[in-house]
Amino acid sequence: MKSAHWLLLAALAVFAFAGAPAWAQSSGPTDPQIAAIVVAANQADIDAGKLAESKAHSQDVKAFAQQMVKDHTAVNKTAVDLVNKLGVKPETNPTSDSLKQGGAANIANLKPLQGAKFDRAYIDHEVTYHQNVIDALDKTLIPSAQNAELKALLVKVRPAFVAHLEHAKMVQSSLPQAQ
Amino acid sequence: MKRVRHAALRMCTSLLWIVATSSFANTYVVTIEQMRFNPPALTVHRGDEIVWVNKDLVAHTASSDTKAPDAGFDSQSIAPDASWRYRASTPGRYTYRCIFHPTMHGTLTIEPAR
Repeated sequence: MKSAHWLLLAALAVFAFAGAPAWAQSSGPTDPQIAAIVVAANQADIDAGKLAESKAHSQDVKAFAQQMVKDHTAVNKTAVDLVNKLGVKPETNPTSDSLKQGGAANIANLKPLQGAKFDRAYIDHEVTYHQNVIDALDKTLIPSAQNAELKALLVKVRPAFVAHLEHAKMVQSSLPQAQ
Repeated sequence: MKRVRHAALRMCTSLLWIVATSSFANTYVVTIEQMRFNPPALTVHRGDEIVWVNKDLVAHTASSDTKAPDAGFDSQSIAPDASWRYRASTPGRYTYRCIFHPTMHGTLTIEPAR
């Protein structure tokens, strides 16, 4: 069952972040792998948010992007502080690699877009991204975490992703329909 | 001499007022956790103190929708593990939210002093 979840996470990551390589692994992620996944997932959203802070047309999209940069930076700092305290060395793995590559592909996709088209593409991706991270937390990361403090951090951070998803959907519904 | 007596009287009155209000004023805690205000609705009396304690990993605010100069409140950013205190003043029902996270709402009702 665990391996099915792990494969699902990989599939979700590939689905959400176009261009990422497909991969498979026989068991769930280890704590060092989870640490790398958490950092990569947050960093991907920080990078997209920084681009949107400067390029977004709508004030709501800009404010959302600023919030994503602030919140995900705070979450990453807490995660890094914890893994340092625990002496866990983040270990790159296919999922963290796909998140990094997917984040770069998202930036490459967004960069040429302007105005309303940029806003729509950025927010649509944010909705998908946050939903996928919540799914990954529920199905793979939280169940696989062995260290109690790491597991507690993942549980603690989940409501922020849910609030971000709701916020992204609110902004998405306020945008004009795509032509 | 009269002036001294008046000053002493004023001081005593002030002291009595401080003692009286501090004896009857209560302190309430609203915990900000899991992207929620807990309790989401709170009723206090004028003069009571409310402390919002942020136990989340991200910063929040407690900002009333009413922005009148003599009513309403705005904590500005409350950092993780930090708190913000507010002394309830003008009676009324105040809906408030976190300006950073529009899904977070609460209500503070201030009743007249006891």
